[in-house]
Amino acid sequence: MTLRLGLGVFGMQSVPQRPDHHVKLYRDLLEDAELAEALGFEGIWLSEHHFWFDGYCPADIAAAGAILGRTKRLGVGTGVMLLPMHSVEKVAGDATTIARLGEGRLTLGVALGYRDAEFDGFGVRRKDRGKLMDSMLPRLASACRTADPAVPLYVGVASAVAAQRAGRLGLPLFADSTMNPAELRQMLDAYNDAASAAGVTPPASHALQRDVFVTDDRERDWPRLLPELRYMRLQYGGWSFPPEPAESVQAYLSRLESDVEAKLKNLIMGDAVEVAARLREFASLGFDLIVCRSQFGNLPRDLLHSAVEGLGRVRAEVES
Amino acid sequence: MKLGLGPIPLQGMARHELERLATAAVEASFDSVWVAESRSQGVGGGLAAAALVAQLVPIRVGALVDAGVYHPLHMAEDIAIADLTSQGRLEVLLRGGSDEHLQVLVAALSGAHLRFDGRELRVPARLDVNQPVPATLSLNPRPAQPIVPMWALQRAGALAHDLGLGLASAWSDGIKVPPATGRVPGMLLCRSGADPADLLRAAGESAGYFLIAAGTPPDVTAAGRRLAGPLRMPGFPEWINAQ
Repeated sequence: MTLRLGLGVFGMQSVPQRPDHHVKLYRDLLEDAELAEALGFEGIWLSEHHFWFDGYCPADIAAAGAILGRTKRLGVGTGVMLLPMHSVEKVAGDATTIARLGEGRLTLGVALGYRDAEFDGFGVRRKDRGKLMDSMLPRLASACRTADPAVPLYVGVASAVAAQRAGRLGLPLFADSTMNPAELRQMLDAYNDAASAAGVTPPASHALQRDVFVTDDRERDWPRLLPELRYMRLQYGGWSFPPEPAESVQAYLSRLESDVEAKLKNLIMGDAVEVAARLREFASLGFDLIVCRSQFGNLPRDLLHSAVEGLGRVRAEVES
Repeated sequence: MKLGLGPIPLQGMARHELERLATAAVEASFDSVWVAESRSQGVGGGLAAAALVAQLVPIRVGALVDAGVYHPLHMAEDIAIADLTSQGRLEVLLRGGSDEHLQVLVAALSGAHLRFDGRELRVPARLDVNQPVPATLSLNPRPAQPIVPMWALQRAGALAHDLGLGLASAWSDGIKVPPATGRVPGMLLCRSGADPADLLRAAGESAGYFLIAAGTPPDVTAAGRRLAGPLRMPGFPEWINAQ
C-alpha cells in the first residue's frame, strides 16, 4: 500500500496569542497551498466551525475554490464539513461544481459536528445529528459518485458507532486525530463488521488525521509549540464537553486539563526519519492517506514553514 | 457606468473555458467578471466559483446566487470567505429568497450580534434541546469589505432600499436601469451583443452597472471594443480604441 500525505488542517483562526486580520490569514492560506504543492503533498485540508470568536473557517468549499484557483495540481480536502448543519443539495451542488472547475482535485470529508451552539444557529437539534447523518449520507454519496468528475467522499469518525454508519454504506473513513492505534483497530473492526452485515464491499483503505510536528531541534521548538497546542486542545475540549450543570468551575477546568494532557500524547514530534517511521505504523493498520496536522490554530509563520518543509521530507521518504 | 462580463452559467463549464473568458474580460477592460449558479438545475457553488475566478484575474468578481434555497447564514459565511480570499473584490447578485432570508443575510454580513424572530426563521433557534446556546450570534469572520456590494434581481424596491441592496433587472426593450439605492448603482443584465447606444438609452440619467452576456472569448473582445473602448475613452484615436 502506497502511503500518501496531506497537509492540514487549516481553520484560519485569529488566535488570542497571535491575532491577525482574516484578509492576512486567507492570504497566508493561499501561500501555504502553493508551498504544499511545491513540496508534492497529496492535498491541503481545511476544517469547519461556525460562529466562533476567532473566526474559525465556516465555509470550506468557498475556501477550497480559492485554493483550486491558485494551484494547478494540489488536491483540496474538507477535513471535515459538519454535514447535519448543511443541506445535502447545497453541499452536493457546491462540491460537484467546484470539483469540475478544480479538475477533479476536490475531496469531501464530512462528519457529525458536536457543538450545540453551531447546530442551534442553523435551527438543528444536536440530538438529531445521527438520524440526519443516516438520511443525508446516502444521498450525498450518490451525488458524489455520479458527478463528473466524481468527488471522493470520506466519513469523519471518532467512535465505533460512526464507523458502523460509514461501514453500512461502504464509504471510507477519515479517522480523528485523537484515536490511538488500539482504538483505531477496534473502530476498523466495527466498520468491517457493519460492512459485512450490510453486504457491502469495504474500500481497501482509509484516511487518518494525525497531529504531526517535524523538527530537528525538539528542545528549541517545544516551548513555542506547546501554547499553540494547548489553545487548540482546550478549544476542542470545551466544545466537546461543556460543563455539567452542577460542576464547579475548578472541577471543569481540571477535567479539561486532563483531556488536554491525554490528547497531547498523540502528537507525533521528531525529525523526518522518526516521524516517517511512526506514520508507517498507521499504514499497516489500513490507512493509505494520512492528513498531517501541522497547523495548530495560527502558528508563527517561521515555525509553520519549518515544520511543513520537514514534513515535505517525510512525504518524500514514506511515498518512495 | 460600470461594465461586467457575464453572468457566465456554471452548468457544464470547464475550468479552461472559464479562465479564457475571465482573461478575455480583463483584456477587454471589463470592471468585473460574473458567474451564475442555478440551484434549480442542481448547479451550485456560485460563491466558491467566484473565489476560484478571483485567483485567475485581478479584476472584481461577481456571483449570481439563488437565495432562499438554503440557510442564509451559510450564504453569509460563503460570501465572507469568498470576499476574504479575493481580498475584497466580491460582488453578489441575489435571485429569489424571501424577505426574511434577505434580512438575515444582510444583518449577518453587517457583523451585528444577531437575534431574529421571524415567521420562517428564528436565529439563533434557541431550541431547548440544544444547551448551552447563546442568545445571539454573529458571523465571524466578516467579509473583507465593510459592505459587500449586493443586488437583488427583479425585486420590489422597498425592501432592497431598506437593506441597502441594489436593484437589478433583466434586459428588455425600452427598459431603464433601475435607480441607484444606497451606495450602489442600478444593475441591468444585458443580452449578448448589446448595442452601446441601447445601453446609453437604458442608462438614462443614472450611472448604471451593465452585465454583458458573452459566450466566447471573441464575443467578449467584441463587447469590450464596442462598450469599454468607445465609452470609456472618448476622443482617443481609433488605433487605441480598436486595440
